[in-house]
Amino acid sequence: MSAKANKRKNLGFLVVFVVLTVFCWCPVGYGRYGEVGLILGMPSWAFYLLVIGALLFVLQWIYLFQTDLALYDRDLENIVDTLRKTEMEDLRS
Amino acid sequence: MIAVIIITSLCFVSVFISYVAFRKGFTKSADDYFVAGSSLGYFVLIFSLLASFLSAFSMFGMSSFGYRLGYGSLYVLTANLVPLGFLWYFMHKKTFLLGRARKWMTMGAPFGERYGTPMKIILVLVVLVASVPYVVAQIQGIGVMLEAMSDGIISFRLGLFFVPFFIAIYLMMGGMKGAAWVNAIQGVFFSVMVFVLFFFVMMKNGGFVPTMEMVMAKHPTLFQIGWAGGKVWSYPMIFGMASAMALGCVCFPQPYMHAYSSRSVRGLKAMFLSFGGICLFIITMPTLIGIAGNVIVPGLKGVEADKIYGLVAAATMPDWLAALAVAGGFTAAMSTVNGLVFGNAVNLSLDVVKTIRPQTQPGEYITLARIFVAIIMAVCVWIAWNPTTPVAELSVIAFGTVAVTFFALWGAYYWKKATAAGAISSTLAGVFMNVLFFVLGGKNMILFPQTFMFQLNGFLASFIVAGIVFFVVSWLTTPGKTEEKSLKLFFHPVMEKY
Repeated sequence: MSAKANKRKNLGFLVVFVVLTVFCWCPVGYGRYGEVGLILGMPSWAFYLLVIGALLFVLQWIYLFQTDLALYDRDLENIVDTLRKTEMEDLRS
Repeated sequence: MIAVIIITSLCFVSVFISYVAFRKGFTKSADDYFVAGSSLGYFVLIFSLLASFLSAFSMFGMSSFGYRLGYGSLYVLTANLVPLGFLWYFMHKKTFLLGRARKWMTMGAPFGERYGTPMKIILVLVVLVASVPYVVAQIQGIGVMLEAMSDGIISFRLGLFFVPFFIAIYLMMGGMKGAAWVNAIQGVFFSVMVFVLFFFVMMKNGGFVPTMEMVMAKHPTLFQIGWAGGKVWSYPMIFGMASAMALGCVCFPQPYMHAYSSRSVRGLKAMFLSFGGICLFIITMPTLIGIAGNVIVPGLKGVEADKIYGLVAAATMPDWLAALAVAGGFTAAMSTVNGLVFGNAVNLSLDVVKTIRPQTQPGEYITLARIFVAIIMAVCVWIAWNPTTPVAELSVIAFGTVAVTFFALWGAYYWKKATAAGAISSTLAGVFMNVLFFVLGGKNMILFPQTFMFQLNGFLASFIVAGIVFFVVSWLTTPGKTEEKSLKLFFHPVMEKY
């Protein structure tokens, strides 16, 4: 996959993460001051909050484990070796 | 008495686990003692990180919050922490990669290499100062609950010594590996016990929905946001608390220490992701237990409400099971004290002493870290002697203070133009603002929205000021030799793909 496509995907995930984070940090758009109805014994906004939290969790799982956008163990050795080589070159120079 | 026996047994088990780590030789070298030789698998990592954050605050404090302030408390330590999955990943993947390559062992290491020694020292001191109220909150919670559960046999002040004494012993002995093992076991234990307590509390009045309907009939405001004339759980108040807790989590020592200790990328990602998911599930329960507590043990006020977790356990469970449930809360508090005290002791030993006295031998750093563990613990017990602030509020203040280091961390990894002057001035400005607000208006000014600050609370105002100072000063100053030199490693193309 091209770097450009990966960048677009990354940006897409980031935007979704940021939007859902705002919802997790504030009831804007789904909350209301004063009395509200109950869903399963909880105020409706609290119920939606838990659902949004669960949705964000699933999306993060997809990003971290089901896409090629995140870091994986197969890349680790190469990255660490390269960083160590750079450090050694720095020391020599 | 059963509670005292169970809690004492748990303390001895923790010491024994740490002793095993000590005997197996996991504390011989500095690398082993401080970061467990980067060998922790993901089960231990997940539950160790979880336990090192979830605390007296999450069990006793959140049930107290739920009891006093209702459903709005869900924004303090449950769903608001789910974003940590990606926040931690983005902020700490370079901590993990560079830490592995450079053999970092402290949270000051990336700041030292990117910005130089002064920033490293300032960071260590800021984190230490911010950690103290949080550790005090745990010790205070332990003392309060021990007094309640032992029917006064163990007084609050005796309780302040009782558990911290055991923590200091197992921390000094087992190092990171011992601490992580103890944390993991304690994490599993308190997760199970909070679930069991939730079940008993809700079944007392015929299930979750009937219990909540009873609470709503008596205390309808607990089901609302913006009550007390818009003062309690207003949108700015919710946003201020939710963001303070999440951003503070990014900046405390635990994610750094666990990133260095992780054996694999898979473990690192699983640890970061699971934390928020487990919080969403596990910490929602004490909050709901606290809300339900209003119809089981009514009428508690202020610091007294911190006892609600133990009191509902005593009111709904057989004695031995109630003791186990409260012991779950104790283990949560123990593991947090453990994680924070250890992180700070490592910072002081490696970042401060090593800088002042570079000829110190590796073995001496381990001894020094052990001494710092004892000193930090003693200072926190001394401060907890006269409790004046509830556990939950103390913890939010601590998270808010440490969060001001967020920009310096972000700049270290993602902004080439970031300078040492920017990082130092932003951190100092943020801490100064937090202290100023606390001196001027006490905890209310830090926690609650202020009209003269556009409805921001003291934490958010300090955080924003820290951010502005960071960007402005970095733009106005030129990167020095340290910053220039660090770019090659911190912005190496091999890491840019991720």
